[in-house]
Amino acid sequence: MKEKKKISFVFFIFTLLFFYLPLLVLVIYSFNEGKTMKWTGFSFHWYEELFTRSKELWNAFENSIIIALLSSLASTVIGTLGAIGIYWYRFRHKKLIQTVSYLPLMLPDIIIGISLLIFFAGIGLNLSLTTIFIAHTTFNIPYVLFILIARLQEFDYSVIEASYDLGAKEKDTLLKIILPIIKPGIIAGFLMAMTLSLDDFVITFFVSGPGSSTLPLHIFSMIRFGVSPVINALAVILIAATAFLALLSKNMQKYIYQS
Amino acid sequence: MSGTSVEIQGLSKSFDNHQVLKNLSFDIRSGEFFSILGPSGCGKTTLLRIIGGFEEEDSGVVLLDNVDMKNYPANKRKTNTIFQSYALFPHLTVYENIAFPLKIKKMTKPLIKNEVEKYLNMVKLSGYEKKYPKELSGGQKQRVAIARALINQPGILLLDEPLSALDAKLRQHMLVELDSIHDQTGITFIYITHDQHEALSVSDRVAVMNEGKILQIGTPSEIYESPKDAFVADFIGETNFIEGIVQEKGGKFAKLYSETLKTMIEFDMDQSVEIGDKVKLTIRPEKIRVKRENPQKTSSQHFNILKGKVDEIIYHGFQSKFFIDINGFILKAFKPHLSYFEESERIGWKEEVYFWWDADDSFLVEVSK
Amino acid sequence: MKKNYGTIYSLPLSVWLAFFFIGPTLIIFLYSFLKKSPFGGVERSFSLDAFAFLFNPTVLQIAWMTLYISIAVAVITLFLALPTAYFMAKSRYKDSLLLFIIIPFWVNFLIRIYAWIAILGNNGFINNFLIQTGLVSDNFQFLYNPYAVVLITVYTYLPYAILPLYSTIEKFDFGLLEASKDLGATHFQGLKKIFIPGIKSGIYTAFLFTFIPALGSYAVPQLVGGTSSMMLGNVIAREIIITRNFPLASAISLILSLLTIIGILVFMKKNENEKKAVK
Ligand SMILES: Nc1ncnc2c1ncn2[C@@H]1O[C@H](COP(=O)(O)OP(=O)(O)OP(=O)(O)O)[C@@H](O)[C@H]1O
Ligand SMILES: [Mg+2]
Repeated sequence: MKEKKKISFVFFIFTLLFFYLPLLVLVIYSFNEGKTMKWTGFSFHWYEELFTRSKELWNAFENSIIIALLSSLASTVIGTLGAIGIYWYRFRHKKLIQTVSYLPLMLPDIIIGISLLIFFAGIGLNLSLTTIFIAHTTFNIPYVLFILIARLQEFDYSVIEASYDLGAKEKDTLLKIILPIIKPGIIAGFLMAMTLSLDDFVITFFVSGPGSSTLPLHIFSMIRFGVSPVINALAVILIAATAFLALLSKNMQKYIYQS
Repeated sequence: MSGTSVEIQGLSKSFDNHQVLKNLSFDIRSGEFFSILGPSGCGKTTLLRIIGGFEEEDSGVVLLDNVDMKNYPANKRKTNTIFQSYALFPHLTVYENIAFPLKIKKMTKPLIKNEVEKYLNMVKLSGYEKKYPKELSGGQKQRVAIARALINQPGILLLDEPLSALDAKLRQHMLVELDSIHDQTGITFIYITHDQHEALSVSDRVAVMNEGKILQIGTPSEIYESPKDAFVADFIGETNFIEGIVQEKGGKFAKLYSETLKTMIEFDMDQSVEIGDKVKLTIRPEKIRVKRENPQKTSSQHFNILKGKVDEIIYHGFQSKFFIDINGFILKAFKPHLSYFEESERIGWKEEVYFWWDADDSFLVEVSK
Repeated sequence: MKKNYGTIYSLPLSVWLAFFFIGPTLIIFLYSFLKKSPFGGVERSFSLDAFAFLFNPTVLQIAWMTLYISIAVAVITLFLALPTAYFMAKSRYKDSLLLFIIIPFWVNFLIRIYAWIAILGNNGFINNFLIQTGLVSDNFQFLYNPYAVVLITVYTYLPYAILPLYSTIEKFDFGLLEASKDLGATHFQGLKKIFIPGIKSGIYTAFLFTFIPALGSYAVPQLVGGTSSMMLGNVIAREIIITRNFPLASAISLILSLLTIIGILVFMKKNENEKKAVK
């Protein structure tokens, strides 16, 4: 046992270094004075550039936030209703709807991206923030559905029957029983959708048009020209934000699941 | 408040070609404590769910207070259910759980408060208003479920194995409380259980079910003392079966010859039999007495006295269970400990003993020509 | 009783997916059997040109490269993820370790790729370091080959493999291992005969979670692959954006989808057999 533990410890440390060293390099070099990955001196220069002279980047960031909020909202509403329908009722084609709903989870992003692109071209919809919103909502729905159905499965169906039994109708049961019970799942689904939407590059790449850049698309266009210290600075901000949100959500989870 | 009566006529239900309820018909009187007893999977829950309106019957009629319930969903029926899993709303406090049915009815706050307090008192849970279900013990959850079901003042309370998740002590205690709630409210109780002791101790009448059919309905003592069916006899309490061919009959009694016991057995003819019929008798173990000495025949001439060897004795506190071997056939006899430490009373392992029973105490459960 | 509400609740879901998922997917299916129009769209006549073109040696070669990279990624990822997940699952500080593994996973996907470009690129950290220390005199090209694609894809997908392995190992009853030792098995035998079969479903899931997305890679080979390590995703994109050969892009997508679906079906079948075997 000891031996095995030692080996697995070595692997674990290796994995951690593998994960964090590259990010650490970015953090250090974001404070580099020079433009390359050659250390020439300490400076906040690139942060200044990022915050004061990168208008396009901030436009793209704004777009990303708007798309993420709207598509998460839409997919959470659609996914929540769908999960309730699928989990709590018997109806025709239920199994089919559920299976099809999970398919986008499995197909490679690029296929979802180009199929939407061809579809939008076919119906004559110009590529814009609208098409990005549609695409993001589409790939977020299965995740929300999945999380919510998992949440619903933890619950005892007889709770719903008890509600009817005690005189509640459909509407009261939905509003006073079902929704409050699955609230933590709804929040988790929404956060998941936000994360995915903010992170998506491949699908967005195909369904975005001129003037509808998102943050990942903007980063992509910058990376293509090689190393840029502004990206280093941006990366640090994003890593810090991610770590902060991760810690926050961990604490929030505790809070949500406690009540 | 008074209980609702139930009338079931020709009720059948199948799931995926498997018939779970087979043409059931019976009545439950207003205010009765009616238990349904049967082995796992015999259709008890299904029957209860149909009465409660959670499941639709394939055919047949359910009448509550003489009204056909065909088009009444669960929320329109005078029934309330105590679910096996309690089904408390996890996001609501004890108070909010119990108040739920009244809030749905849009009652005013002070009225709701009044009612909730009344029922909290009835189930002895005052002071727990602000707790959430997961902060309660099994017994306390049970009480919340009961208060919540009663606050609507239903005509019938449906209870699906309500005590099965509690430990033995608590079960006994809750049973007594349920019984007293039944007396206080006068509501009809339909009580499902696996546990014969529960069913026999509090019910006005018991229905024994097996494989989707009701085999016998009667008072607890009728069910126990005069089972009409081998299954009922076997399922309720412990029993012995003796098979044989009828050889003689005269008056109220008849005699059979048992191949396994290699002797004649006299029995009470509670159904008519003919000579040559193949019959099956049941005799409860506690009706069989055991002694070292031959008791001889006494006043009532209708005794069966047999001899055998003690194969095993299991000590059970207030009684001992004897397993007596007669030519390889094992018969059970339960002997109460009237005075355990009296040496002459104590029979040992492998001892030869006499045992006997009154021919009145056995029942015919099967007759075939 | 309450049968019809289900349809109502799931109506938005059905409608949305019908429009924006099934519709587009069917179009791809349809397009792959149409003729390419000289102006970049499609003509409404049946043609198997696109499929015929799949057997073109360059496309076949790229298909092989895709398969080769994806398998390499899945195997290496598994090799790293298994002991890592084992350590995490057995640690007293599981929750914190889990968070440590998840945080880099949440850092933007492109930033994670970029980090490696900054390190391995021609003007990257390592090249600068090597030149400064005088070890080499000229930039060394680390990127733009299949190894770079594998390395960076492993980097981006590793958490996908760690998480399912972690959750199965955590549920594994280690009493079984002790029991096997008690019965005379060596530690290694115990691992091989009890532990590995016991966490098989986690291993399959981890493999699938890396192999399937790797098959559809686009961004990594695009950014660090160069021409020598193009994958099918890059061909699809090229046919859509540059050559505008929609039927060919559709046909490749169709094949890729079929491969994915077959992979998933095989996985589900295996998993089911596992479950049966456990029973
Ligand atoms: N919704 C359903 N779909 C299919 N079969 C069902 C359903 N509900 C019950 N059954 C089947 O009907 C039969 C009777 O079930 P029921 O739950 O009524 O039994 P029970 O007497 O309550 O058993 P237990 O004592 O174990 O609770 C069982 O064979 C069960 O598998
Ligand atoms: Mg039951």
